Amino acid sequence: MTYLIDIVLIAMGAALINNFVLYYFVGICPFIGVSKKVDMAFGMGCAVTFVVTIAAIISWTITTYILMPGAPLSKWIAGMFMSAEVAAKIDLTILSYIVYIFAISSSVQFVEMYVRKYFPPLYKSFGVFLPLITTNCAILFACLTIMSKIIGVDNPADAWDLGRSLTLAIFGGVGFTIAIVIMAGIREELDLCDIPKPFKGAAITLIVGGILAMGFMGFTGVDSGLRDAMTPDTQANASLSDEIQGAQQLLLSQKDLGY
Amino acid sequence: MAQGPTAAERFIQGILPENPVYRQLLGLCPTLAVTNSMQAAITMAGAVMFVLFCANVVISLIRNLLKPHLRIVIFTLTIATFVTIADRVLAAYMYQMSKTLGPYIPLIIVNCIIIGRCEICASRQSVVTAGADAIGQSIGFALALSSIAAVREILGTGMFFGLRVLPTAWPDWVIMVLPPGAFLTFGLLLGAINWYSARKS
Amino acid sequence: MSFKQNNIVQAWLVLLLALCFGSALAAVHVTLAPTIENNKISETKEKVPELVLGVEQAQTIAQKGTKLDIVGHQIEVDKAGQKTFYSVYEALLEGKKSGWVIKASGQGYADKIELLLGVDPKVEKVTGLFVLDQKETPGLGNKVIEPKWRGQFTQKPTDKAFAVTKKGASTPYEIDAVTGATISSRSVTQIVNVAINDLRPVLSKQ
Repeated sequence: MTYLIDIVLIAMGAALINNFVLYYFVGICPFIGVSKKVDMAFGMGCAVTFVVTIAAIISWTITTYILMPGAPLSKWIAGMFMSAEVAAKIDLTILSYIVYIFAISSSVQFVEMYVRKYFPPLYKSFGVFLPLITTNCAILFACLTIMSKIIGVDNPADAWDLGRSLTLAIFGGVGFTIAIVIMAGIREELDLCDIPKPFKGAAITLIVGGILAMGFMGFTGVDSGLRDAMTPDTQANASLSDEIQGAQQLLLSQKDLGY
Repeated sequence: MAQGPTAAERFIQGILPENPVYRQLLGLCPTLAVTNSMQAAITMAGAVMFVLFCANVVISLIRNLLKPHLRIVIFTLTIATFVTIADRVLAAYMYQMSKTLGPYIPLIIVNCIIIGRCEICASRQSVVTAGADAIGQSIGFALALSSIAAVREILGTGMFFGLRVLPTAWPDWVIMVLPPGAFLTFGLLLGAINWYSARKS
Repeated sequence: MSFKQNNIVQAWLVLLLALCFGSALAAVHVTLAPTIENNKISETKEKVPELVLGVEQAQTIAQKGTKLDIVGHQIEVDKAGQKTFYSVYEALLEGKKSGWVIKASGQGYADKIELLLGVDPKVEKVTGLFVLDQKETPGLGNKVIEPKWRGQFTQKPTDKAFAVTKKGASTPYEIDAVTGATISSRSVTQIVNVAINDLRPVLSKQ
């Protein structure tokens, strides 16, 4: 049950609350470049979701079995050459950035060839974007987040498993798709508007992005409320009604502060 | 040897006429993400300058050995190595800052400015030109970052480099240091610069 | 396939560069890894004296030149079949146990909040609170890092869970909420409550 709650919270967090584009600013280039038409934006979003999922699987596997301090595979290989204590201390995290970027780009190349050969219609709809996004920040960012959840944690028991990492990646991609499709919808309408000339193109897109980001800020805090709502009431305080009241109070006080 | 702009031209061009952020719209991820305080912005610009300079010089040194189909691999390898070095140095000597910048330091690897400069300049021109180009572009990047960071920090917290410049009565525009402030500030500055340069020409 | 067209031969430059860069990284790692590791540990450890003894006494001790001995522990707590780990630091003043510092974390309003909680040796009262890491809303939620707010916890008894109130704390178990940031205040309080609840049985026995 706690695992399920965790998954739901990670999904909510990645897709809406801490949206890749509007909160972490990764993947801004396609957000501005490929958001002129809704169908193109949707294709781009699907491609990013697809690649980020593959990248998450690869980076989780590499981090857990090779890169992290005391990872099984590197321990086993090192154990053939040196004593067991030294082998257990092998720490390859310094190589992580290089390994991730190469793992991502090579796997995307493979997938592109595979999709082109066996699923031509799929390739037509979003395959053309695949090579473009190998060096998209969003992909590497997802890998780095997963890494920080495996290596950066104090307790080995808190390290993310494949399920959590996959959830982050898939819903991060979904969040990216949501943001870019909304943006494209707005930009299609903007074409009909009389925008001052210096603001045409990137400038107005950024300003609209700012307003969108403001909208997405409204999701902040949803996760803590959601978690409390889903957790069976063990901790005595924080009952659901209290939480709702608290949220209302927060809304009121934020209004006072001119939010 | 391909003819191209000289070292001095490259240097000047990078700062304003071909500013990587305002003119080429490259490297937007750190531009928006780390500009909520001047210190973070300057550290970021310093890290980018280090990586861009080292990568440009190394690529320029080996430019005659590059095979066309392996060139991107070599660019990526070089950039990723120098980014790792920059990241470790920051973690060792500026620990708090490296925690604040977090994933945005490794994300320099996929910053289009660097791979773009390697491709356009360093793989074709001499070491001196490549170095001058790197410094020019990084100064342009630093200027762009600090222009956004200055607006955001002053309006958002009333401070500049952590020192108070606006009276305490100033109601902090918290929105400016939050994500939406980045989009709005950059969008408005970009529009203003477009307007200014269109009027001048 | 002729010798020149062999992929490995064509990629000699890549392999050579990989070798050079690999050794450069190894050198960087060997020189800097101890400093980085040290940074991570000292970030926590330098807060221990003021969390256990209070700011003033920590300064007096520092002036006298006495040092607090700090021993790190990993404590495993079994919560209804779910294992949770805590990093706990034991502070010893001249060989006598003067308190514990618990590193605890939990979900805040915007992101994870990580904090250090100082308690006395028997876990009967809180001796200090420090927020290590948070991404709460600037100007509202991030007021929880200010000494004025987190100082509320000091010297409060731990036998009952703390509750957040918006009407001004009247009993020792109540904590005033930060105006406009009830959820952030509640999150911090919740993390403190959970940590005390989990660790009191273990720590008070030691």
